[in-house]
Order: sequence, then C-alpha cells, then structure tokens
Amino acid sequence: MKSFFRMSYPYLLWIALFIVAPMIMILLYALTRSGNGLLTFQFTLENFTKFFNDATFMRVLFTSLRIALLTTVFCILIGYPAALFMASLPERKQTTMVLLLTLPMWINMLLKTYAWRGILMNFDLESEARVFIGMVYDFLPYMIIQIHTAIAKMDRDLLTAAYDLGANRWKTFLKVTLPLSVPGIISGITLVFLPAVSSFVIPKLLGGGDYVLIGNLIEIYFLNAGDWNFGSAISLIMALIIIASMWATKKLDRNAQEG
Amino acid sequence: MRKLIEFRNIVKSFDGQVVLKGVNLNINENEFVTLLGPSGCGKTTLLRILGGFLEQDEGTVIFDGECIDRVPPYKREINTVFQRYALFPHMNVFENIAFGLRIKKLGNDIISQKVNRMLSLVNLEGYEKRRVTQLSGGQQQRVAIARALVNEPNVLLLDEPLGALDLKLRKEMQRELKRIQQEVGITFIFVTHDQEEALTMSDKIVVMNAGEIEQIGTPLEIYNEPANAYVARFIGESNIVTGEMKTETRIRFDDRDFDCRDYRFRPGELVDVLIRPEDIGIVKPKEGIMRGEVKSVVFKGVHYELMVETKTGTSKTVKMNVVTQHDMANPATQEKISANDFYVDLDDLVNGEMTDQDFIRIANAQAWDEGERDISLTRVTHDIENKPGVYNITFGTEKKTEITVKVYVIHPEYVEDPRHNIGITALDFFITPDEIRESMAISTDLKTWASAEAWNLQDDSPVDITDVKFDFDPAEITEGSYEITFATRGREYKVETTSRHEEGDKVGLLFGPEDIHLMRKAVHET
Repeated sequence: MKSFFRMSYPYLLWIALFIVAPMIMILLYALTRSGNGLLTFQFTLENFTKFFNDATFMRVLFTSLRIALLTTVFCILIGYPAALFMASLPERKQTTMVLLLTLPMWINMLLKTYAWRGILMNFDLESEARVFIGMVYDFLPYMIIQIHTAIAKMDRDLLTAAYDLGANRWKTFLKVTLPLSVPGIISGITLVFLPAVSSFVIPKLLGGGDYVLIGNLIEIYFLNAGDWNFGSAISLIMALIIIASMWATKKLDRNAQEG
Repeated sequence: MRKLIEFRNIVKSFDGQVVLKGVNLNINENEFVTLLGPSGCGKTTLLRILGGFLEQDEGTVIFDGECIDRVPPYKREINTVFQRYALFPHMNVFENIAFGLRIKKLGNDIISQKVNRMLSLVNLEGYEKRRVTQLSGGQQQRVAIARALVNEPNVLLLDEPLGALDLKLRKEMQRELKRIQQEVGITFIFVTHDQEEALTMSDKIVVMNAGEIEQIGTPLEIYNEPANAYVARFIGESNIVTGEMKTETRIRFDDRDFDCRDYRFRPGELVDVLIRPEDIGIVKPKEGIMRGEVKSVVFKGVHYELMVETKTGTSKTVKMNVVTQHDMANPATQEKISANDFYVDLDDLVNGEMTDQDFIRIANAQAWDEGERDISLTRVTHDIENKPGVYNITFGTEKKTEITVKVYVIHPEYVEDPRHNIGITALDFFITPDEIRESMAISTDLKTWASAEAWNLQDDSPVDITDVKFDFDPAEITEGSYEITFATRGREYKVETTSRHEEGDKVGLLFGPEDIHLMRKAVHET
C-alpha cells in the first residue's frame, strides 16, 4: 500500500499547483485591494460590500439564479416523460436512444450555441427567452440520462408487485416509479443547475450585449476591466452559492431516500 | 372441499415455443398445492396466468365459479409472493405491508391494526420501522408474505420463494409457511423445482414436465405410486429397469422372475420397474436375491449411498507394452526425434480414416532441438498396405532428422454383446514408462492410447466406457507387458444403507414383492 501511495505524489503536486494554489490566490485577491506589493497585502472586505450594495450586481445575481432554476425545472418537465418512455423500450433500443441523446455532446458547445444564434435570429424573442432555449437544449441530455438510469435499474418485479397488491398503473407510478427515480432527478438537478448558474458562453452569444449573467460579470472584470480583486470576489460569491446548493440537494437526496 | 380454481385446457406459447400444452387442473379451497417440475416445465407460466400477469393463448381460468380471463391483476382476489420478494426499497417494513391497504384507502388505525396482526403472524414484531434493505433473506421473505396476506386474498401464489435461502433457513421457512397456511386457512399455490420442499409442505402435488401434467396426488401417492418413470426420477432416488409381465403378478427383469403386488398390467406387457434405494437391503451374497459388487460408496450423513453392480458390462482386454523409447539424434542439425511402434486397425486404414497426423499422434512421434523446443514433423513416409502385417513408417523434420518405427496392421476382435446391444473394441499399444508416470488422468489416457470405443449395436451411437481395470501402479511402472480391461456400465442398483461397505465388496441385494413398483412406460422421456 505504501509504495502505491508514493505513486500518487505527482498527482498531489499537480493538484497543489493547479487547483489549490489558484484557489488560494482567488481568496487572496478577493480579500485585498489592488496595488499589492509582493509581500505587503492590504486586506479589505470592500469588494464584497461593493457587490452587495449595488442594485445592478444583485439583479445580475438574481437573474442568474432565476434562469438556472427555470432551466432546471423545464429540464425535469421535459426530461422525466422522455426518460420514462425510454425505459419502457426494449433494452437494445434504449442503448440506441442513449447514444442518440449523447450525440450532440460530441459537438463543441460553442459551435452549437452559434448554430442556435443563427436559428433564433429569425424569431422576435426576448434575450432571456433565447438564453433559456439555449440552456435547456444544452443541459437536457444530462437530466434525461440521470433519470433514465434511475428508472432503468429499478426491478421490474416491483411494478408487477404493485399491480398485484391492487394498484393500477397511475398509482403504481405515483407510489413506486416516481419515488424510486428521485435520486436520478436529484443528480440531474446537480448536473443542470450548477453549470446553468455559472454559464457565460450561452448568455453571451444568445443574449446579446445587454443580457449579463454572473458568469459574464466575472469575465468582464477579469478580461475587460482588469479588476482581478473584484472579479475574484464575485467568483468566490458564486462558489459559495454553488456549495450551498450542492449541500441542499444532498440533504434533499438523503430525505428522499429515508422516505 | 369446495372447488375454487379451475384451469381448462390452458395453452400458452412464447415465440412459437409451446410452454403449456393444454393444462387441466382443479384446485380446492384451503389447499396447499405445489406445482413441481424442472425449470422450463411451465409451472411459473401457469402461476402467472392465474395471477393475471400473462394471458393464455387458449383455454379458460375459472375462479370461484366465474371466468377471470378479462380481469386485470389488481382486481383479482389473488396475491403473489415473488421469487426475489420485490419489496419496495423506498419504504420501511410497515409501509411495505400497508401498501395494499393504503391503495384501498383504509383508515390509519385500521391499517396499523391489520399490519400489526400480520407482523405477529410472520414473527416480525418490532420490525415496523426497519428498512427492508437491512433485513436478512428470511426476514424479507416474511415481509413479502405479510404484504400479500394482509389483503386477505382467497389464494396466495408463491413463486419459488425459498430458492434464495440457505438450507437451514429454507427448512425453517417450509415449516413456517405450512403453519401460516393452516392458520389463515386459504389456498396456497406454491411453485418449486425442489422435490423435498414439495413433499414437506403440500396437501397436493402437481408434477409437471414439458408443459404437461404428469401426475396429481398427495405426497404419499406421488412417492409410493409414481405414475411413470419421469415422476419416479423426479421425486426421490430411484432404480428404474424395464421389465416384462409374465403373469398378472409375476414380473421378469434382469433375466429373472419376481413376484409383485400390482394387478394393473396384462401378461406380455412391457413396464418400467421402480425399486427405491431405501427399500433394498444389503445382505451376505448367498442370502440376496441378487448378487453384486460395490462400485462406489458415498457418505450422505444419515446413510451411505452405494452403487452395486449386479451384472458387468461389455468388456475388452488389451495388452499394453511398456518400452523405453530411444531418441534418435541428428548430429548435423542438433535435432532429436522419437516415436513408438504402434498398432492400427485394418478397418480404419481401408476406410481411409488414418491421416499422417493420426500416425504422428498414435506413434507419439516428436522432435526437438538442443533447447528442448518442439520441432514440427513435416514428413511421414511408409510402406503400409491394406492387409494385416508389419510395416515400417518413417517420421522426419524439415532438416531430415528421421526415425523409423514398426506399424502392426491388425484385424482386432470386436466384442459384441447382443444381450446389452453393445459392441466394444480396443487395440494393443506401445507406451513409454515416462508417459504413464506423467499422465494426469490415467484411465482417460489409457482409453486414448488403446483407441478404446464402445457403441450401440442398433444405431451405432457411442456408449460410455465407464470402467478401466488395470493392476499396476502408474507411479512405479517398469518395462513389460500389462493387461488392461475396458468395460461399459453394467446393471447397477443404487442402495441406501446405514451399514458400512467398501468399494469392491461382494454383497447380496434383498427386496420383497411390495418393494417392486410397476409403472406404465412413459410416452416421452427426458
């Protein structure tokens, strides 16, 4: 065991260099003023107060949360019946369906988003509607696959047992299939909500210049404004939101399992 | 007892394969009925048709005087205990059992009253809040039974419910199930392939085979008076031989006449004779009505199971010549080569069945270089003619390393035994001591070296050679000539006895007229 452990040293080094160090730097930047020397830091919380006291920034934050939530809800509404239908197919067709579903993932997301821009330009839509369509399109497969996996691994005899005990098809769905697919829905939520809340390519390309989400805000402060301190603070705020929502879904998952 | 269920001419096929071939069966109220048969006999299909999970192609199911062919499963007064229990993993024990009652929208107090009654029926008080995934196999089983019984069905279907349990627990659950059935007083229909399970629990056993019912009866009837050889083999251990009726109470088998207590057959009729192993007594050879030699002894706990051969099979004895082989070395190429003299059956030569590869194999010809690496033999030349005699055969490698050995073309004697309809043959052979010492499975190798074969005289189909007799120790073999006898299986009787015997003991077999059960010859054999 010990010798195997030694084999992980290069990876530990890699993680330290490219994950831990940048995170510490973000933390450092977020908590300091610009114009630091190499060894002298001017610690401050003003990056955060600036964010929370500015109505524009708060609006961007809420827009981001709203559209991510909306995307997630729609992914469940479309994804659940789709997954249910897929699970009812014979096994070989299911494999084909999963393949077809994952096929768009092989294409670069930027390309797909550009394609959507071309399509959506023909319609007179609000910027948020365009972004919403783009996000649902992009994240829906993750939701379907998660739910489908949960339903497909369910023992078919459970359904037979429910009929046997007097439940018709609708009641069987409500009392057996639905509760047993909750873990799938929850991992689907994790896979849709988190990338949706931090997405910046889709809003940038589909939303037009005036549609800004929190991901775009970070991009602007780092690349355009050159204010790394404030950019880091926003990143940190977003990271905290993501951690909080992950904790919430974990909690939800555990509750669902304890039924 | 009142008739509760009636299957009328049920036919069912899957993908063109007929699984049920017109089954007729009546089941009474409060009966413990077992559908017994090997997997694929149609027993589970019949159960699923009754449960409403499958639809028959033809025929009708009558339940309590009414046809239920169009009634969906959730409206039938039948509940099922599934093979793998199918408990709902997201519910605790209480909610699993309450499932059917909640569907019926009963009040909470009534539900908890009924569930608690069930919990005490299956001895699971205090387990209400447990997750079903944390229960043992036996406990899950009990929950599954309680979940079905709480709905107060008229019939409980059990689809091999004990299959996943270990032996001790299975026995415990058998008693438990019987007790529960007697306590609630409803019909249990139990599907199993385990004959012992069927005998232990049932009021009525239905023996099924290939989509048909072979026999319906009480456990005692099925065991003591099996309808045919199939049922006899399936229930308990059995010796079955073909016999011919001499008079109405005299039966001839194994070339002897015996008295029997069965008046159903006419003189001259061919019947299957069943003698249960536990009905045969082992006595001194002189006191037995049959004599034989103990071929194998297996300890079974309470008793020993002996195989006693009362008649030897068809046999053939050959000579094995053990000679040390001399390598031929080719100094020019550093190669070595060796081969044995060998015998060939003239018939095989004439029929053109001997290829060069066969000669290489029988002569055990091989060549190797100084690094002990095998070299392939590419050249085989010989002067063999299609008549008996001694010929020369030469094996050689690409680099002309050669060895010449003798081939004895002979006309071996076939032993033909018209009484058993069996022919057997084997050839004398040459072999090196090393090959015998290195043999991992000496009997099998001897058969190969001697080209021993046995066949059915009527249809030429191959017959197993079960016995290879020799009197040397393979580990201590020296040069010389040895006799080896190959034999087919003789007449063997399985006997259960509590007394100890050794392989090779000469014993007598004793049984009376009441131990001889006669059965109509089965139309189909499996």
